[in-house]
Amino acid sequence: MKPARFDHLLPTSLEDALAMLAEHAPDGRVLAGGQSLVPMMNFRLARPTVLVDLNKIPDLAYIRDAGDHLAIGAMTRERAIENSDLVRAASPLLHDATLHIGHLPIRSRGTIGGSISNADPAAEYPATALALDATLVAQSVRGERPIAASDFFDGVMTTTLEVDEILTEIRVPKAPPGSGAALVEIARRHGDFALAGVAAQITLEDDRVTDIRLAACGVGPGPIRLTGAENILRDGGLTDTALAAAGRAAADAADPDGDVHATASYRRKMAGVMTRRAVEKAARRAGGAA
Amino acid sequence: MSISFNLNGKPAVTDAAPARRLAHVLREDLGFTGTKIGCDAGDCGACTVLLDGEQVCSCLVPVAQVADRDVTTVEGLASADGRLSELQQAFHEYGAAQCGICTPGMLMAAADMFKHNATPSDDQIMDAMGGVLCRCTGYNKIVDAVKHVVQPNGVDFVSPDAGGAMGARTLKTDGIQKVDGTELFGADVAPADALWARTIRSPHHSATFTLGDFDDLYKKWPGLERVFTAADVPGNNGYGIYPEIKDQPAFADGQVRFKGETVVALVGTHEAVYGIRDEDVPINYELREPLFGFAGLDDGAHQMHDANPGNILAHGYVKKGEAKSAMETADVVVEDSFVTGFVEHGYIEPEAGWAQRVGDRLEITVSTQAPYMDRDEVAQIIGIPNESVRIIPTACGGGFGGKLDLGVHPVIGVAAWVLNKPVRCTWTRIESMAASTKRHPSRITARYGCTKDGDLVAYDMSGDFNTGAYVSWGLTVKDRVPVHATGPYYVPHVEAATRAVFANETPAGAFRGFGIPQAAIAHDTLMDMMADEIGMDILEFRLRNAIRKGQDTATGQVLEYSAGLDQCLVALREPWQKARAAAEKFNAESDGVTRRGVGLGCMWYGCGNTSLSNPSTMHVGIAADGTVTLYSGAQDIGQGTNTTMMQVAADGLGIRMDQMELVWGDTDKTADAGKSSASRQAYVSGRAAMEAGQDLRGQILRLANVGDDASIEFGEGRLTVTEGDAVRVIDLSDLSDDKLHGNVLVGEATFDPPATPLDDMGQGNPYGTYGFGAQVAEVEVDVDLGTVKVLHVWAAHDVGAAINPTQVEGQVHGGVAQGLGLALMEEYLPGRTENLHDYLIPTFGDVPPIDVYLIEDPEPTGPYGAKGIGEPALIPTPPAIFGAIHHATGVRMKQAPATPDRVRAAILAAQGEK
Repeated sequence: MKPARFDHLLPTSLEDALAMLAEHAPDGRVLAGGQSLVPMMNFRLARPTVLVDLNKIPDLAYIRDAGDHLAIGAMTRERAIENSDLVRAASPLLHDATLHIGHLPIRSRGTIGGSISNADPAAEYPATALALDATLVAQSVRGERPIAASDFFDGVMTTTLEVDEILTEIRVPKAPPGSGAALVEIARRHGDFALAGVAAQITLEDDRVTDIRLAACGVGPGPIRLTGAENILRDGGLTDTALAAAGRAAADAADPDGDVHATASYRRKMAGVMTRRAVEKAARRAGGAA
Repeated sequence: MSISFNLNGKPAVTDAAPARRLAHVLREDLGFTGTKIGCDAGDCGACTVLLDGEQVCSCLVPVAQVADRDVTTVEGLASADGRLSELQQAFHEYGAAQCGICTPGMLMAAADMFKHNATPSDDQIMDAMGGVLCRCTGYNKIVDAVKHVVQPNGVDFVSPDAGGAMGARTLKTDGIQKVDGTELFGADVAPADALWARTIRSPHHSATFTLGDFDDLYKKWPGLERVFTAADVPGNNGYGIYPEIKDQPAFADGQVRFKGETVVALVGTHEAVYGIRDEDVPINYELREPLFGFAGLDDGAHQMHDANPGNILAHGYVKKGEAKSAMETADVVVEDSFVTGFVEHGYIEPEAGWAQRVGDRLEITVSTQAPYMDRDEVAQIIGIPNESVRIIPTACGGGFGGKLDLGVHPVIGVAAWVLNKPVRCTWTRIESMAASTKRHPSRITARYGCTKDGDLVAYDMSGDFNTGAYVSWGLTVKDRVPVHATGPYYVPHVEAATRAVFANETPAGAFRGFGIPQAAIAHDTLMDMMADEIGMDILEFRLRNAIRKGQDTATGQVLEYSAGLDQCLVALREPWQKARAAAEKFNAESDGVTRRGVGLGCMWYGCGNTSLSNPSTMHVGIAADGTVTLYSGAQDIGQGTNTTMMQVAADGLGIRMDQMELVWGDTDKTADAGKSSASRQAYVSGRAAMEAGQDLRGQILRLANVGDDASIEFGEGRLTVTEGDAVRVIDLSDLSDDKLHGNVLVGEATFDPPATPLDDMGQGNPYGTYGFGAQVAEVEVDVDLGTVKVLHVWAAHDVGAAINPTQVEGQVHGGVAQGLGLALMEEYLPGRTENLHDYLIPTFGDVPPIDVYLIEDPEPTGPYGAKGIGEPALIPTPPAIFGAIHHATGVRMKQAPATPDRVRAAILAAQGEK
């Protein structure tokens, strides 16, 4: 099939892009890496009338050390994040999450800003942003608006971005010393969207959990922060009992639908299993082991 | 505003709209058709190109984004003088390209990898190339080729001498074009001025409909030349693979029976036919309650076809001895029921082609696996003699049975005939999946009985097969299954009954195995259960009962030759025992979550059409200038028929294979060699090709008046025949060039495998020969997740004689991959999985290393002893995997695919949990 008719705009500066989006609101749609939006347009599941393509804007792709956090330009390709030593060192969870995204040709084009704005409930980056309390910086002709990840996702493929706003930067707090991270997921095949996945970053002092961040993908209308499981493990430590209870809490927090790939009850159960495995893997890494 | 970029090191300019995607600009606007489109959605990777040195799906890149950047396509890999890159050469030599449709994408992904990493590990290869799907090779030979680039292993490929082609690992005769981007598939060949046809398909599973007035469409879209409907069909508005049943309409006429059925076709400019939205075409549907699965058998179900009361297409039946009473005498009887779903062929090339009227004739250039059947089918739709239709096959980007039935042909044929203009059509991935045939869903209940000593006593099965909305190959499936129902074992008493049942779902047709893979899950799971009951090793139990020469099958056919299952099992004994022991050791040391198991599956499969005449005719000609040509109508669908036919024909004639030309496929230039189905080409057409070569050789020897042992030297314009000291020279220009295709001498042969009809009890000799095989699969199950990873497969197949071991191995690898898909991941749900991200076929990381053991128990009616391997390779894989899951977990899977949620549920049920 061929996409329905639309205007394809190619601004060369962010200012132009914001102006175009404002002019065409609410009909404009931002095109980043195109790895989700382009196929949706081909299948006419999305029919924007104006496409504002960010690919010609030179200064939206960067990974910067900004002291206590990484500042990542929205148009940074997933492959660049995967290959970044800075990301690997400062946010192992973001690195780990990236390895689970699609396949290499997808990561060559797909962007972090696009993935987060697209807010696919099964995608890895939204859950990672949520787990890490990332700050998502939106810009419009009206100015800049930092949005906490916890305020950003708003249901299936929906965000709190206004129709004239573009996500321009993702600020990822650096992982604290003594932390370990892992994204663990179950997918039908490697590279497929998760049936259930959990992003975990855990900080240990001796055997004490001083910080733990967990979020799930694929088991609800959006990414789900697993605060119940976090609390259990923060209070109870990494005992077998606490891990089992955390898994049950995660399964309770999940709100999955069944589809052609798995039943809802299976996904719910897997949210629990993935939570335990992600925590255990992150904790091993926090301890310096693989 | 034009867009400039650097294409393969040279400037390229396009005036395309900025949002037009790179893949389409490359192919349609710039003529770089080496880049293929398999899904147009980033799921298959066939369109992979390099953008500034990094692999991207060119179907997802708006062309404006590549302005002033470097794009590299497969056409840019070879050096300027046409010398293949090391990577391309390795793909060619290792047989990494079968049909070749994914090859450009594979090569580009590998090129990206080598740009960034000269010595990739296995995991890095998987990761770098995992975005490209292949449906033919099972990836093993692609990995071999890539590893060869990392570290050459010194394999030397030499073109064989005269008489030495049989059994040699000769390179594919059409191999180079598959790696350099010049191979032409169905979507690559239409003339620039061809009109486009787009089919409007039923969005409903079952409905009656009326057509509205198309005037508004014509007014709004000047580029719309014509809307074609059932009323426009000049001949018979129906088709189907059996000569006497043409039940599937070319265009639905007042009612639709499945979602995706052709209702009307828009023909005109690309802009018009793709600009018109489906909902703008005035079709008024009145919905009916659809019949899904086997609901057509229920009381009160509406009748889908007048000719078929109760929605039963037909019954199949085989009875030998008295299975029901004999079962009483068995020491052990096991019984169970098994279910499988629709399976999609998933070839990476969607259906495509173009048609033109040439005077009173119609020419269709199309991707197909059955040129002559296409010809006759199209002729009766147009209402012209068979000889008035010419089918010119393109390279076929995968078939597996799905390109036996008509695809784009009726629409482009009718449109080109009526309009007298060239008309092209390329189905989208969604259309291909919604409209092409599928593997029959099945439900089978069976009982198997044996003595306590391990001798089989009786088999009693009944099975229903959902044939979907139309007949397609339903009669073949209902016949093939009872014949093969027992599996490849000697069983004194057999009763097997099948029904083919209609439903408002995609027509189920031919798919690698015609129902036998479904039946094999039943018979071989029951074999495992019996072995366990009597405490006998699973392999030894099968070896004890393996059918051997001199024994009779369920249809009473006594096997005279080539029955090598016992040899297959003996070959597998060592890997079987080692792997079983290793799995048990692993489990003893495991934490209980990760468990391993090893299973075994066996198969047999009759080569050729069941109890039907299915002859192949081949010609080998020599022209006055000395050019020797094989005229082969055996369609190559990636399995390598072009090469294997040349091998056996060359040896038949006694010429070096590389001194022979090949003309293939075109129905005006080649004789009918039947369909590329039923694992019959190597066996049936191969025999004809060999004999055609021998026939020509005999003519030459007679002309020279020498005996059979004389040798022939093929020179330019002359033949030199030597017998002992006598040397005779034949000047070919002295001979009349009035033979077929302007040749001076033509060898001809027809082979029709010996078969007899089946009687009412299903007794007779349905096939000339059978292929046999056995496979061992090792799996790892994550008990908490229900995921199954296949770690290794050992596959032993009796192929009579391997014409080309590289290609036989390729068939086995690909069959195992498809069997793995059937067992673990593939289930087509009409309307729900019509794309390659919801319908899952195995990727690089899913297919394990496969060790192939070639068993050669020669078949005297085949060419130099050969018989078929295309379908046999898939059949034992699912039961082997299911057996391995049982070995790992103690759970028997009885439904395919064994998805993680189903495996998990079965494990929980076995543990007595909720």
